[in-house]
Amino acid sequence: MDDSDEALMAKVARGDERAFRELSRRHVPAMLGLARRILGNATDAEDVAQEAMLRVWTHAPRWQPLAALRTWLSRVVVNLCLDRKRKTTWVDLDAVGEIPDPAPLAGESAEASERERLLAAAIAELPGRQRAAIVLSYTEGMSNAQVAEVLDTTVSAVETLLVRGKQNLRRALTDVIDGE
Amino acid sequence: MTNDEFDKFLDSALKRTQAPQEGDDAVNRVLKRLAGPLPRQKQSVWRLPTVLLDWQFAPAWPRMAALAGCLAVGFAIGLSGFDRGMQSGTSRGAGNIDIGGLVFEPETVTGGRP
Repeated sequence: MDDSDEALMAKVARGDERAFRELSRRHVPAMLGLARRILGNATDAEDVAQEAMLRVWTHAPRWQPLAALRTWLSRVVVNLCLDRKRKTTWVDLDAVGEIPDPAPLAGESAEASERERLLAAAIAELPGRQRAAIVLSYTEGMSNAQVAEVLDTTVSAVETLLVRGKQNLRRALTDVIDGE
Repeated sequence: MTNDEFDKFLDSALKRTQAPQEGDDAVNRVLKRLAGPLPRQKQSVWRLPTVLLDWQFAPAWPRMAALAGCLAVGFAIGLSGFDRGMQSGTSRGAGNIDIGGLVFEPETVTGGRP
């Protein structure tokens, strides 16, 4: 039985709820992670992941398999995150909490943990598209072409976003880097 | 720190914040919310010709039989004049009075007509 994303989407387009649940089980963890990294807020990330999957359901009959479902879904999540960030007011850098980290190495050294907290805070301060480009490129491991597809822009624009994003991060983390 | 070192630092620090896995509480919460009744799907206009082509025009025979039955009963009632008897028994209402004579009555003094 063909259970590829495309095959499941074809079933979802015909109103198959079981196929939709299977698709949700497959993609919600990754979409939740992406939303968490962009928003830096677990509760909002859950709302975004749910909204993105509901859009998959409602728009399935109109979906054209021009790009991989994962890329399209990432685009939906990024757009929802950017919309949400635009609507919310900016919080103070100190108020940005630590992103939950289930990795076993997380508590290895207090210094590394502090550095990551500062990095998470610095990423939260980046303009929306720069933040999305950094997260998609580094955390999701996407190529510049894939990031361009998700952000609906050109590869050179993505390169510019990454360069500016890294410059801003460097500037924000100067003390941490100099302390090494 | 050089650019390459900064890239490596960024790469390792960001990758350590792993995506939640299936079975994670947050994932379960989202999946539970999605298990509820789903909204109506948006149909594409471009699918309409396909839907029309797929349409089966085979008649539904029980409905056709019911329609033919109703037709036959109506025809029989019409031929028997059963409804005419019912109509003659009804009282004359205001709607049946011919008021044409009142409206077009000649003026009593001058004999003029409206």
